[in-house]
Amino acid sequence: MTRPYGVKDRKRKKKEKYDAVEDEEAEQIEVKRAMIENINSFEEEKPAEEAQDADVADELEGIPLAPSDHNTDKSKVIFVLERASLEVAKVGKSYQILNSDDHANFLRKHNRNPADYRPDIIHQALLMILDSPLNKAGRVQAVYVRTEKGVLFEVKPHVRVPRTFKRFAGVMLQLLQKLSITAVGKRDKLLRVIKNPVTQHLPLDSQKIGLSYSSQKLVDMNDYVTTIPTNMTPIFVVGAMAHGKVETDYTDEFIAISGYPLSAAYCLTRICAALEGKWKIL
Amino acid sequence: MGKSSNRELGTQKKSKKKSKVGPDALAMKVKAPKENPFETIWSRRKFDILGKKRKGEERRVGMARSRGIEKRNKTLLKEFEQRGKSSVFVDKRIGEKNEDLDEFGKAVLRSQRELQLRSKLNKKSKYNLSDGEEEEDYEDLEIQERDDFEDEMISDDDDAVETRDPQNNSSIIDINNNTRISGEEGEPNKHKSKKEIMGEIISKSKYFKAQKAKEKEENEQLLEDLDEKFTALIQSKALLSLTEPRKINSLEALVNKSIKIEPSKKDSLSHTQKIDTSTEDKPDAYDKLVKELALDMRARPSDRTKTPEEIAQEERERLERLEEDRQKRMTAAEDSSDEDNENSENPLEDRPKFPSGDDLGDSFSVSEETVRKKGWIDEILERENEEDSASGDGDASDDSENSEDVDEGSDEDPDEDENNLSLKDWEQSDDENIKLNLEDEEEEDSDDEEESKKEAEQHERINDKKKLDTAVPINAKAKDNVENVKKDRDYSDTKKMDLGANKSSAKPDIPYIIEAPKTFEELCSLLDNCSNSDIIMVINRIRASNAIKLAADNRKKMQVFYGNLLQYFAVMANKKPLNFELLNMMGKPLIEMSMEIPFFATICARQRIERARKQLVESLKNPESSCWPSSKMLFLLRLWSLIYPCTDFRHPVMTLALLLMCEYLMRCPILSGRDAAIGAFLCSMLLSMLRQSRKFCPEAIIFLRSMLVIATEKKSISGEDSAFYQLVELRSPKHLLCMQETVNEIRPLNFIKMVDTPEDSPFFSSNDFRASALAAVIETLQGFVNIYDGLSSFPETFLPVLTSLCRVEKEKNIPNALRDKIKDVAQLIKSKVDEHHATRRPLQMRKQKPEPIKLLNPKFEENYVKGRDYDPDRERAERRKLYKQWKRESKRAASELRKDSAYLYEAKNKEKALLEQEKAEKYGRARAFLQEQEHAFKSGQLGKGRKRRR
Repeated sequence: MTRPYGVKDRKRKKKEKYDAVEDEEAEQIEVKRAMIENINSFEEEKPAEEAQDADVADELEGIPLAPSDHNTDKSKVIFVLERASLEVAKVGKSYQILNSDDHANFLRKHNRNPADYRPDIIHQALLMILDSPLNKAGRVQAVYVRTEKGVLFEVKPHVRVPRTFKRFAGVMLQLLQKLSITAVGKRDKLLRVIKNPVTQHLPLDSQKIGLSYSSQKLVDMNDYVTTIPTNMTPIFVVGAMAHGKVETDYTDEFIAISGYPLSAAYCLTRICAALEGKWKIL
Repeated sequence: MGKSSNRELGTQKKSKKKSKVGPDALAMKVKAPKENPFETIWSRRKFDILGKKRKGEERRVGMARSRGIEKRNKTLLKEFEQRGKSSVFVDKRIGEKNEDLDEFGKAVLRSQRELQLRSKLNKKSKYNLSDGEEEEDYEDLEIQERDDFEDEMISDDDDAVETRDPQNNSSIIDINNNTRISGEEGEPNKHKSKKEIMGEIISKSKYFKAQKAKEKEENEQLLEDLDEKFTALIQSKALLSLTEPRKINSLEALVNKSIKIEPSKKDSLSHTQKIDTSTEDKPDAYDKLVKELALDMRARPSDRTKTPEEIAQEERERLERLEEDRQKRMTAAEDSSDEDNENSENPLEDRPKFPSGDDLGDSFSVSEETVRKKGWIDEILERENEEDSASGDGDASDDSENSEDVDEGSDEDPDEDENNLSLKDWEQSDDENIKLNLEDEEEEDSDDEEESKKEAEQHERINDKKKLDTAVPINAKAKDNVENVKKDRDYSDTKKMDLGANKSSAKPDIPYIIEAPKTFEELCSLLDNCSNSDIIMVINRIRASNAIKLAADNRKKMQVFYGNLLQYFAVMANKKPLNFELLNMMGKPLIEMSMEIPFFATICARQRIERARKQLVESLKNPESSCWPSSKMLFLLRLWSLIYPCTDFRHPVMTLALLLMCEYLMRCPILSGRDAAIGAFLCSMLLSMLRQSRKFCPEAIIFLRSMLVIATEKKSISGEDSAFYQLVELRSPKHLLCMQETVNEIRPLNFIKMVDTPEDSPFFSSNDFRASALAAVIETLQGFVNIYDGLSSFPETFLPVLTSLCRVEKEKNIPNALRDKIKDVAQLIKSKVDEHHATRRPLQMRKQKPEPIKLLNPKFEENYVKGRDYDPDRERAERRKLYKQWKRESKRAASELRKDSAYLYEAKNKEKALLEQEKAEKYGRARAFLQEQEHAFKSGQLGKGRKRRR
């Protein structure tokens, strides 16, 4: 009889917008899939639009300065960083990203273990990924980070992560409150909080590889990388926490790449190095 | 009665409505604690943020909704209900508005009111109807009640004050008493009259006045007391000790001493006296300082630094003064000189050792010496620093003798030792020495030219020796030259003075002030028959007396003089017995002058070079004559290389000079050994000029290589080098440097000597010469290798040279030392070539650097606070904020309206439903009645029943 008070107009609007983005992505994925299918028939076609653009640019320059590299394999890699400890708290009057150095007393007051609050791990990990030649060559598709609290956000590969931790914490704080971070002087969204679960953002034709010290499968990363089929996008799921284990249901397998427990940053460097070796990026 | 019925109706209505609206209505409150389960639900926060207080966040959505409905029931519903009514029923029953009261409370209130009314109203007004002013009465009543209460309190008041403040200020008590009294006088426990109040105030003011007066009096007394005490203090000694503690301290020490001697009584009595005495005895340190400062000299500014003009002016004045002195001596001294001579016959014998001991280069007659002696004595009085001048003097004479250093010279020859006697030596020297010197002088007096020749020989000998020691190639000569110039500069200050002083005494006819000669002949006549040092001195005096700074026209004079001097230099350089030392000494004034008149000097140099080039072209047409530069040209080139910077990329003089030298090396045919030697010298000169700038000079290298070629025996050479060999054949048909016999010793070439020797002397065809020339060539080559090792074309430049070197090395007659040297150089070239080859990279296709993806910086604020606008444009931010606010408000209003309309809709519906129900009820009732009637009719009871009832 009565109409409910909360008219859901706005919410629906938001959702639509969001869906549009998702749809776009879905479209892209579809396009990509179609492309991959086409590759068999048309060898020269590039799998992604960007690659095509790049080629066009090359052609426009006129004189081929270097012999064009014929490997059309422009497959990319995706990283998922699980359990990043990025938690916003109201310390004093201001909001801050909790870390074990500055907020040890605060955390103890609230019955938390300061050792668990290590946002520097995710900072280093992001630096390692985004500063690698792999990323410079444009072979990182995206980085997804899921915090301990369950907030999932996407990091675009062309972000220049702040070098100092303090600035990084500032970015993360703003991201977790504002839900997106734009580029300086552009409207391009560099960091964006997205909807869980992460699997709906991952491409279908992908091999999801979790990394865990506790895994029984100890492999040499360089060899392992070569076994990944070229038409599959490798997705590496790495934990960015101080203690514990990544527990995800979407990973195909868990591998250990060293006999020793590695830090997230080093683990990522090793992965990047292996991929660089595979894709001949110097 | 109507009221109550109406009320009942209202409540009935309400209750009915509420029951329909649902459990969450006002009725719930009234009917009490039946809880709405929705109201117990709290809103839940999605993310628990650590450290954030939950205070404002918690809210119950259900509760809020029910509250809203309640509110509308009270406001909107009322309005809705009264929409069609023109009058309002106002409920004024007692206690009805107060919701806290229950029925019983209301009843109590009402009964109380009634009682009050009854007691208040008189009997006469008992039957009067109330005029509808019940309210006011009621209020009055309330006030009365209050009054009663207060009255009671007031009655206790005074006692309470008394009991409460027994320890209060006396003044207050006084006041109280006063008031009491006044109060007692009037009516107690009643409001005071105006008069009383005024009286109270007056009494209070009086009291305060009295208090003030009292205080004042007390203050005055205290002041007096203090004054008295202070005067007493001043009379005592205590104050003194306080104001001048230092004096007292110093005094105490004294007092302590004196205490032993004097009794304490005395001390105390004569205290002030002692203070005086002590101050007199020991003045204060501070006082001392003050006095010192007062007496201190004021700092005076030192003389300011002189401008070059002033210095020049002073120099000129000094020379003028000296000239005057000289003139005086010329006239007056002739008489006195004899006397002096006679008087100081013996000392003369002793003294002359100083100049003679030093002097080899100049011819001095005995008579001259005497005069000089006297002059020198005069001079010595004028000198400020004796030692400086003495050493300078020694140097000057050394210079005149040869260009070796004083220290080195002493090691070389016994003769030299004697000549280089220092000031101390000649002071202490004995007769023998004098004699020797005198003999020397006599010998040297014989002829100027002879002397200079001999001197040159001596010089060369020394040079040779030195060269042997240090194995310096030809260009060592040049180095010496540079050294000498440097030395000249070092000593320039003292020398200027002393040269002038010394030589003025030696040659009294050299005036102190000399006009700059206008023509070359004038200059020649001025400088003819002068010793080397005299020439330099004359030049210096001319420069000093015609300094450019002094007068405007002096610049022109100096330019003319410079041209002449350069000409003189050239002439001297071309003289066959070369007066090398003079040339050396002339370098310094020439260099200095070309600094002063750079433009003119440059023009001179350029013209000379152009002329030389023309000459070269002319002489090249004639294949017979040697077109190698004369010694004059060589010296001039050397001079210019000293004057101008060789490192400039482009220089008006040096570029021309370099090109000319290269042309010499390139185009002149090598016909004799002398040509080869001159070429080698040119090469070494080029090397010294190019050493710093490292300019590439292929001519020199080609010349050196051709020298190496002509050092080998004639052979037919095939291959790539044959063209070059043919070229060399063309240039020098004979293999001039090829040694026929083995030479044991390699002597470095002496360039000066070589220049002096005639072209066709057998020296140039001797094997000795060949070996030494070859050594010089190789030395120069090594220099070039060293300076060109940075060139990327090094291997291409020097590999052919290396092959030639190897060929030379294989010659059988090469002395071993030379062979080793050649080996060394070859090794050097080889290693450097290898180095270059190692660093060379193969030709590569230019590869494009991979383009990295463009990185973007994230935009973020420090200390980000959610909800704050971080727009730098304040106005825009403000506008946006206002817009937001407006939007929020309008939204809120819209939602409120929406809710209201929904509520009204509901209310209308309810009403309608109610009406319908009523209608249906009515209809039902009517229908039932009708049905009953019909039933009765049909059953036939209609008439009967009625009838019966009736």
